[in-house]
Amino acid sequence: MTMTQTELSVAITGAGGAGVISVGELLLQAWAREGGRGLLRKAFGPQIRGGESAALLKLTESERYTAASSYQVLLAFDWNNYSRFGDEIKLAPGCIVFCEEAAEVPAEVMAVKPDLVCLPMKQLAAQAHEEGRVNMLALGLLGQLLGLSEASLSELATQKLAHKPLAYQQAAQACIAAGTGYGLSCDVPVPVPGAKGCWYISGNQAAGLGALEAGIRFVAAYPITPASDVLEWMASPLEQLGGNLVQAEDELAAVNMIIGAAFGGVPAFTATSGPGLALMTESLGLAVASETPITVLNVMRGGPSTGIPTKSEQSDLNIALHGLHGDAPHLVLAPLDIADCVYTSAWAVQLAQQLQTVAIVLSDQFIGQSTAVISEPQRCAALEAAATEDNDYLRYRLTESGISTMATPGDAGLRYTADGLEHNEAGTPSARDDDHQRQLHKREHKLSACSYGDAWARAEGDGELAMVCFGSASAALCEAAELLAEQGVAARTVSLRLLAPLQVERLQAALAGCSSVWVIEQNHGAQLYHYLRGQMDFAMPVHSYARAGPVPLSGAAIVAAMKEATAA
Amino acid sequence: MSTQPLADFLAHSVELESEARERYLELAQSMAEHHNREVSEFFSRMAEESRLHLEEVAEIAQEHKLPELKAWEFEWPGEESPEATSYEAVHYRMTLRQAMLLALDNERAAEKFYGSFAKTSDDPETRSLAAQFAAEEASHAAQLVKKLGALPPDSAQQLEEDDDPHMPE
Amino acid sequence: MNEPVKLKAKDYKSAVKPIWCPGCGHFSILNALTKAFAALGIAKDDTVLVSGIGCSSRLPAYVDSYGFHGVHGRGLAIAQGLKVARPDLTVIAMGGDGDGFSIGGNHFIHACRRNVNMTYIAMDNEVYGMTKGQASPTTPADWDHSKLTPHGPGVRPFKPAALALAAGAPWIARGYSGNPNQIAKLIAEAIEHPGFSFVQVLSQCITFCPEQTDWKAIVNEREEAPLVDADEAAQLFLHEDGFQTGVLYNAPRATWPPSPPEPQSQDITRGFCL
Repeated sequence: MTMTQTELSVAITGAGGAGVISVGELLLQAWAREGGRGLLRKAFGPQIRGGESAALLKLTESERYTAASSYQVLLAFDWNNYSRFGDEIKLAPGCIVFCEEAAEVPAEVMAVKPDLVCLPMKQLAAQAHEEGRVNMLALGLLGQLLGLSEASLSELATQKLAHKPLAYQQAAQACIAAGTGYGLSCDVPVPVPGAKGCWYISGNQAAGLGALEAGIRFVAAYPITPASDVLEWMASPLEQLGGNLVQAEDELAAVNMIIGAAFGGVPAFTATSGPGLALMTESLGLAVASETPITVLNVMRGGPSTGIPTKSEQSDLNIALHGLHGDAPHLVLAPLDIADCVYTSAWAVQLAQQLQTVAIVLSDQFIGQSTAVISEPQRCAALEAAATEDNDYLRYRLTESGISTMATPGDAGLRYTADGLEHNEAGTPSARDDDHQRQLHKREHKLSACSYGDAWARAEGDGELAMVCFGSASAALCEAAELLAEQGVAARTVSLRLLAPLQVERLQAALAGCSSVWVIEQNHGAQLYHYLRGQMDFAMPVHSYARAGPVPLSGAAIVAAMKEATAA
Repeated sequence: MSTQPLADFLAHSVELESEARERYLELAQSMAEHHNREVSEFFSRMAEESRLHLEEVAEIAQEHKLPELKAWEFEWPGEESPEATSYEAVHYRMTLRQAMLLALDNERAAEKFYGSFAKTSDDPETRSLAAQFAAEEASHAAQLVKKLGALPPDSAQQLEEDDDPHMPE
Repeated sequence: MNEPVKLKAKDYKSAVKPIWCPGCGHFSILNALTKAFAALGIAKDDTVLVSGIGCSSRLPAYVDSYGFHGVHGRGLAIAQGLKVARPDLTVIAMGGDGDGFSIGGNHFIHACRRNVNMTYIAMDNEVYGMTKGQASPTTPADWDHSKLTPHGPGVRPFKPAALALAAGAPWIARGYSGNPNQIAKLIAEAIEHPGFSFVQVLSQCITFCPEQTDWKAIVNEREEAPLVDADEAAQLFLHEDGFQTGVLYNAPRATWPPSPPEPQSQDITRGFCL
């Protein structure tokens, strides 16, 4: 918890279909309606239904969302297999714990000397309505704690349950009322609300939205955790916009389908995770070689191989950068937070279209599957269309910018055959040295010569200590910078949004004057650290903090590690 | 005046000569790609001969309205038009003799084809033209036979080569 | 969309010279394709030939239309994505037996199932020609001319027509490279058929399978009308010798995707604002 702002973290746990997640969602939505800010994460056991689940809320006063470092409130419907969440739910000393009976509370919870609030929740729910369920009672209780109105909670719950029988809805309303009306004697400091009229959105939805707003009208989908929700969300608005979604038989089909659509002039997109991206790499190379624009969102999860599908990690940087065989330069971007998913996804699509190449966007499970309350997200401005002149049409004409005009089937008289084989300017396959060198240069130059503007990174603060990261690690970096500031250490943060082509000069400028640089990332192999060391010279010592998932990065852990390293 | 049998016959004749020419050109090109210069040049000459014959037929056909037939609507004795060398009858190391034998087969097949019209068509003009065309094919055949006689015999191992096939992709 | 044009078959050929061995059956298919285009008055600018990797996959470069020469086995995926995104185009996918039934096998069965309106021509020479003569999924089990399988693959070959039927292809035809005019007719019908049209063309490989010249004697043209009943077709495809040519099966069913609804509201952010 920072000194300047109030944060309140609430964990809700339960098993067996108790409806834990619904509580978390409704609570955050009601909170947001009042102008509150916050982040909702979810954790689950391996069962598909009826397993253990946890709704993890962090209510804040700003929109910088890291995972909660400790929870001030825990509401446990039951203690079934609660230890599953042991490493994720750290309880603050004196944490308020709502539960049924004191005797059942696990030792690890008692160890933090919690403020136990035992109430017969099942009984209370049954008393409120014969179909009464504990989760709606819990919603009412927590709502009371946060100062939310019964009316607001009830309205949102009814909306959510609109397709259920009337009795079900009425039961929910009754339980909420019982919860908000129950006399609680505890209270907690509650964050101060801000402006109303916010968005409630997940990173996956935001990424899909950005893509559609940038013009994507063809999507190929193969389900994979944690990216399926991107595709599922996109299906309906895509149809609204007159686009098409094809469910492919595998990722190999998905990537090739979008190549086909893109060849046809329709901006195309797919989303996957590490294992899917690995399958796609051959055809990503085809898109690079044939200069066909496509965008692939990779929602990173624990790796390698099947790894930890439901947890976040930043360990696909290597494959995104280097996974294509041959010299196949392409774009790699990484959104910095949930709101930034809208921006970065759109930017990636625009760049891919303009530069006729592959854009890989590295989101992750943390921002992908967390829902946040955000102000209306900033949009990416449309790129200026590159000027092209073509008297004598050659699909792969060598131009100053490296970008050649791409004809589309239907265009009269501009017929060509796109090819993964190396080719000459006309597109005819060629094994010649001169053609190969020139086309390699073309494909590399069109990327390196492009001017990417200021969006390449979010660089903030000043100081001799610099922390560099990519993607969603940004929030943890900023949290760390705040903690350091409290300790009188000035630090600057550089969160990279554009990873390839790496903007070396700009990064060097951003780090100018630093005496020490830390590269922070959520993977085991220090992938960003080694990438940066390989790409550029540093005028100062560079250190690495690399920690794989599943525990989210936190500012406190980063600061502690840096201290330990300097002490050593 | 155009009669249906004549129009049909002319349509077939145009197609026959046209396909013969196109096929010889294609094969000449293919042989050139595979550096069999002798055979390539021979096929080019045959293409030229077909072109001359085609011009002749086309000039006659000009005065008639020919039916526009799709490739599979023509009625040939075999699967393809009689003078179209089968794509599968060639080999990159084939000899001039082998190529000439193919051409000879073509001429004879064409002669037979025209000959059948010359004998059986109801239309007198058709019979007359067909006989003329048949005679031309026969004379080409005779020339080929003569040239064949002057060629040295082929080696039995001609189609063999020492190197293994190459893998372009 | 466009008026039928009046071009001759040869006008559809590009300037690029085929690298196929003289004697290769694929020349017949190229010939047939151009004849079909001429017969249908196909517009070059609205036509895309999509292929994978292999000798047969070289074909798009030899035709003066748009083309996409993709990676091994994925031509059908590219073609379906293209056709769904651009339903106005004529899309023809092609490839060999290795490309289509081995690495591309999954895409083949799903394409049959999906029934997007397009044509797929599998040039079946029962071998991997371009990589120097390995057995393919349609190679006879006792073919022992490959160093990879010196005793023959020993594995029963696929029956492509049976596979296609089981996977849902509504239109199945077979041709033979010795008869390009018949292939031309099949291709024309395939293009006109609304749905996924599968044309298997037995196309001899002179370099690795010279014994395939024997096919000439075995191939026979189907005289009856195409089958409509799937059970009868299953009987045919499972038990025939694989050398009957013609349109073998024609049982139309709804294509995919169905016509899209009219675009409605453009506001796709509505659901997010609380």
